[in-house]
Amino acid sequence: MRSLTLHLKVLIIALVSLGILVTAYQIFVLNIPVTEHETDNLWNIDAKIEFQASGNAPVKLQMFVPPLSDNYTSLNESFISKNYGVSVNKQNDNRQITWSARRNAGKQTLYYRMVLTTRYGAEQAKPTGPTFRESLPLEGMEKIAAEALLAPIRQHSADIETFISETIKRVNNPDDDNSKLLLGRDTSAERKADVIDLVLSIARVPMQRLHTLRLEGGSSQEPELWIRSFNGKKWLYFNPQTGQQGLPADRLVWWYGDEPLFNLEGGSRPQVSFTINSSEINAIRLAQLTGSASNATSFLDYSLYGLPLSTQQTYQVMIMIPIGVLVILILRNLGGLQTLGTFTPVLIALAFRETQLGFGVLLFSLITALGLSLRSYLEHLKLQMLPRLSVVLTFVVVLIAVISLFSHKLGLERGLSISLFPMVILTMTIERLSITWEERGGNTAFKVAIGTLLAATLAHYLMSIQELNYFVFTFPGVLLIMVGFMLAMGRYRGYRLTELFRFKAFLKD
Amino acid sequence: MFGLIKTWRELEAKGIMGINRRNADYVLKYNKRSLYPVVDDKILTKERAIANGINVPKMYGIIETEKDIGKLEQILAGYDDFVIKPAQGAGGDGILVIADRFEGRYKTVSGKIISHDEIEYQVSNILTGLYSLGGGRDRALIEYRVKPDPIFKSISYEGVPDIRIIVLQGYPIMGMLRLPTRQSGGKANLHQGAIGVGVDLATGLTLQGTWLNNKISKHPDTTQPVANVQLPHWQQFMELAASCHELCGLGYIGVDMVLDQEQGPLILELNARPGLNIQIANNAGLTPRAHAIEAHVAQLKKDGRSETPAERVALVQQLFAV
Repeated sequence: MRSLTLHLKVLIIALVSLGILVTAYQIFVLNIPVTEHETDNLWNIDAKIEFQASGNAPVKLQMFVPPLSDNYTSLNESFISKNYGVSVNKQNDNRQITWSARRNAGKQTLYYRMVLTTRYGAEQAKPTGPTFRESLPLEGMEKIAAEALLAPIRQHSADIETFISETIKRVNNPDDDNSKLLLGRDTSAERKADVIDLVLSIARVPMQRLHTLRLEGGSSQEPELWIRSFNGKKWLYFNPQTGQQGLPADRLVWWYGDEPLFNLEGGSRPQVSFTINSSEINAIRLAQLTGSASNATSFLDYSLYGLPLSTQQTYQVMIMIPIGVLVILILRNLGGLQTLGTFTPVLIALAFRETQLGFGVLLFSLITALGLSLRSYLEHLKLQMLPRLSVVLTFVVVLIAVISLFSHKLGLERGLSISLFPMVILTMTIERLSITWEERGGNTAFKVAIGTLLAATLAHYLMSIQELNYFVFTFPGVLLIMVGFMLAMGRYRGYRLTELFRFKAFLKD
Repeated sequence: MFGLIKTWRELEAKGIMGINRRNADYVLKYNKRSLYPVVDDKILTKERAIANGINVPKMYGIIETEKDIGKLEQILAGYDDFVIKPAQGAGGDGILVIADRFEGRYKTVSGKIISHDEIEYQVSNILTGLYSLGGGRDRALIEYRVKPDPIFKSISYEGVPDIRIIVLQGYPIMGMLRLPTRQSGGKANLHQGAIGVGVDLATGLTLQGTWLNNKISKHPDTTQPVANVQLPHWQQFMELAASCHELCGLGYIGVDMVLDQEQGPLILELNARPGLNIQIANNAGLTPRAHAIEAHVAQLKKDGRSETPAERVALVQQLFAV
């Protein structure tokens, strides 16, 4: 017996830890969302390019598009352009799209559309970048001003990071004469970036410009200039205007470098506008959409999500049955509730899925009551069990048909759902309830019927919680944990709740 | 909530056994599933008992098929009173007790007159398994109707009072007298409303009673006090119960016995899942007694000894005397 107990303990611990491990792996390593309501933003970015084609020369438009090297994954990319050839090529860190046409005249409109999301991106590569460079040539007054600017920066900084932020602070200080001289009248981000570049170059600190878009729905926007520098370990990002450090999560890098966004040959008056809008998508569907790039999706292929949709629906019902059974187990063995048979309540709970709870309880009570009265009438005819059971079953079928017909005529479509109500369960319920009635009296029969209905209601309630359904369906490892609990319950020796009342007589003296 | 925890603690301290403990520690542990048919089927029990020389009510006949029902009249010929039982019935369901014949009809113990057809219908119900444990086909058993000893006249209403003794590995650990009431319809089953009265294992004197989970001191129908009645042939009852362990091989059983005014103590049936209300009737918990016996058996096993039913009875009468 002792070894059996040890055996059971080991089994329980093994099952529970396996279940927890599998579930934790899914949640923390594969990043599978824990609830169905967890949604991800899906960004729709439209770049619209308009220009006037000259008509007598070939048209060639080159434009940068997001390289998507970091936290974003592209779900879909499209180039909408009539009469143009399109090619995309990679260029260092950037991606560039080239639209070309032999001859086109008049106003031209080209679209670039990208759908992207933040989750399920591939692993990031180890960053590399330049750590040293030659200083830019500088002469005269500017040289003196730059050096004057540099001296206190050097003093107030410890490393590249603090050096750059100090530089940005000084350049942005309107009272600093040196920076005023270097900036001239121009206080645009571009000009500031130039001056910062200049100062950094004297200190031989490399710097790179990058152009970003903010992922924010609604208004159209212009790419914003940021700068970055590699400190040997990672890239440091700065806003040249505000000195803000670190690229915010909602920034999408469109392109790196000093070059303009696009360049156009054979056309004039080019204009680019960006429109960004977001939509939400169910996280688990998104994981499936992003394709086989990440291991989360390949895992999903081998989970229940890999099944055809119609089969998935069946399993979504089936996988909740253990939950219902667990409810009955707890109610009976811990609570001491009397139910009709062990799993009849689970079956009734499943039937409630189709009828809705309130209506289901009503129908269950009505049909059972009518069935019981028929059964008691048949009792007088002294029929054998099988024929009597058949009569009850037939009566139940007729009853269900009549209820369906009436409710349909009354415009209650709910009543039609009863046709799928497992009537065999109802018949058996009626039969067994009537035996209980005869043998144990109406009181017990009533108690058992209420207990069954209660257990079925509770089981149905738990089985129909969407979040729970999703969780168990997505993380079937939970079932192992439940089996562990059931095994433990198999050797539970404590009292049942009703026994505390049943044995109360002991404590009266 | 705290009240419940307090109740829990107090019950635990008294050693009251709950259903879960009974199932996990005793029924599942000591009762081999393969031996259940011996106790679940009253015909098998009877045959085993006869083979072991244990007294049981005489069997008049068995009806196994619908065709056999035709032979019912033939079996019943010559008997004015008899009992029809499902062989695998549970909790006294489906038992028909006929006390007399009345103008071509039959009279039940409660005075109800029924026709032969109704008896045949009842037998047919038994055969289809309406009252059997698994719901499968069953056999009907027709046997001698026990005539209760007049000693119980004052504290019993109709029916036959019986004596239930719980036997753990051959050691009787608790006993109770079950008295039918008007509410139980002459049946001696506690859940049907019969009274349970605790019995001192050493002397056979009755203790207090339990009725529907409450403690009582008087029989509700006869208003006679139920306590301090000396059960006759008590020693014989105890030894009969103790020997049932060898008879069926199960380690935890409830032995139901009756006292017939002509034939003395008889074994009615065995129960592999005896109820727990016996604890209320005895105002004592089963758990400590069971533990004492388990320890004793473990010791015997270590010493390589075994005890005869008589020795076992002597031991428990010494251990569990009130």
